[in-house]
Amino acid sequence: MPTSTSSEPVETVGDGGPSIAEVALEPSPDIAADAVTPAGGRRSARSRRRRRALGLVVPVFLLGVWWLCSARGIISTKLLPTPWKVAEAAWDFVAGSRVDSLAGVVPFSGAAPEHLSASILRWLSGYGIAVVVGLTIGLGIGLSRLVADLVDPLVQALRAIPIFAWLPLALVWFGLGEGAARYLVFIGAVSPILIATADSVSRVPASYVETALMLGTRRRALPRRVYLPAALPGIVTGLRLGLTLGWMSVIVGELTGTQTGIGAMMNAAREGGRLDQILVGMLCFAVVGLLGDILLRAASRPFVAWSDR
Amino acid sequence: MTQAQAGHSQLPQLPATLVARHVTKSFGAVEVLAGVDLWAGPGEVLALLGPSGCGKSTLLRVLAGFEQADDGVVELAGRPVRGPSPERGMVAQAGTLFPWLSLSENLGYGPRQAGRNDVERTVGDLVAATGLSGFEDALPRELSGGMRQRAAIAQVLANRPPVLLLDEPFGALDAQTRLRMHEWFRSLLAERPTTVVLVTHDVDEALLLGDRVGMLSARPCRVVDSVDVDLGDQRGRDTLSDQRFVGLKADVLGRVLSA
Repeated sequence: MPTSTSSEPVETVGDGGPSIAEVALEPSPDIAADAVTPAGGRRSARSRRRRRALGLVVPVFLLGVWWLCSARGIISTKLLPTPWKVAEAAWDFVAGSRVDSLAGVVPFSGAAPEHLSASILRWLSGYGIAVVVGLTIGLGIGLSRLVADLVDPLVQALRAIPIFAWLPLALVWFGLGEGAARYLVFIGAVSPILIATADSVSRVPASYVETALMLGTRRRALPRRVYLPAALPGIVTGLRLGLTLGWMSVIVGELTGTQTGIGAMMNAAREGGRLDQILVGMLCFAVVGLLGDILLRAASRPFVAWSDR
Repeated sequence: MTQAQAGHSQLPQLPATLVARHVTKSFGAVEVLAGVDLWAGPGEVLALLGPSGCGKSTLLRVLAGFEQADDGVVELAGRPVRGPSPERGMVAQAGTLFPWLSLSENLGYGPRQAGRNDVERTVGDLVAATGLSGFEDALPRELSGGMRQRAAIAQVLANRPPVLLLDEPFGALDAQTRLRMHEWFRSLLAERPTTVVLVTHDVDEALLLGDRVGMLSARPCRVVDSVDVDLGDQRGRDTLSDQRFVGLKADVLGRVLSA
């Protein structure tokens, strides 16, 4: 913690000390007590890098164990393919020569852009609708006791229904393919966004609202001026959860008979007994999900940095 | 002129008289305020001294309009107080800054709501007056406790309120910083005459800041006694050893104990 330096005014008792007015206009020693300094910034950057490096330790260790077990034949390749076999499949998926497949056969070689873009598009379109619906209803519940009493019990009941239980209904309503997949992403993503928004808004301290009113804020401006910014850290947590759960729901949606998408590819790999391709699909889900979360966190950081601990 | 500007131009720019007449307030079966009568004249600093839990904060919240009195009236410049308003700036012990706004955004918040066109100048003046130059972009959590309290007072002063209500604003600070805050606050009031009602349980603070000290009873709260503080305008750390201060403190303590 930085402390006051000799360049700061020193307040003394009696003659020679600064006048009251001078004390009022000069920075006092307590100013420096908790001030953020570039050195502090460097320390926190080092700390962040160290924490990220620590996050790689366990995955690298597990990869090493997998590698060792595969090399010594401890695990049957019928149960778990070798890491290098999965790496070859991944390379083939990304950079392999694209072969026009027969109608109805899900392509694999060189088909990564096609499958990834299809999955990501379904994910983002379903998620976008979930954000609009979740924020709107969540704000309503958080701001109004009447809306909370009317809607909250239904929301709590609906969110207890597993995503797979929505699958038959999605197929009846939207048929096989695209519509059902997006609907299931929406269902997966909307609950955490809605609940986090409602909860965060309802927990905004009354003192913020009172201060805002005292400073002349009109009541109709309170959601924009106070509730949203104060609740944003919690809302962002809900958006991140919704993003991840939406992405996890993509595969359920792609089991409804889509010809493209990571889920469709993995389903085809399962039918063909290609465990290496299944693991490539899982890797895609992990990497894209992680990247999505990193991007969302980076985009939201300027708005929620005030709540960092 | 926008509606907001018109509204703000109607605000009194000079300190005004705040009066409470027979104000009562209960929460369920608990009677907190039992017929409080008080007044603070234009530019006067009324320090209310009372034991912890006596209802000081509730009284201040009623004066601020955050709570409605069950009975009695609160008037500012002869007009009844109904709800919170920029006319009555209140600062609590925990501070009232918005944690998501920078220091300068916090100080400019009130003037912006009023649609004023002198926001930058007002913020600049207050940053200088609070000794926070160089910290305009800092978030409240990046400031020390003393800095935050000065900023919170400046935030409400930005609205040029005729009345300032302070709820133990320096209570969470260490003794050294608190004394510095007292000196700073008196110099601030010398430049910006404002009617102030300050509640505290610190006799030194009441005598260093108040023009008059009102003594509150234990709950249910009433104003039971009052003492004029005739220690001059230049009060600071030297005042603590002044014989008049020492005598007045003994007198006030005696009255507080018998209240």
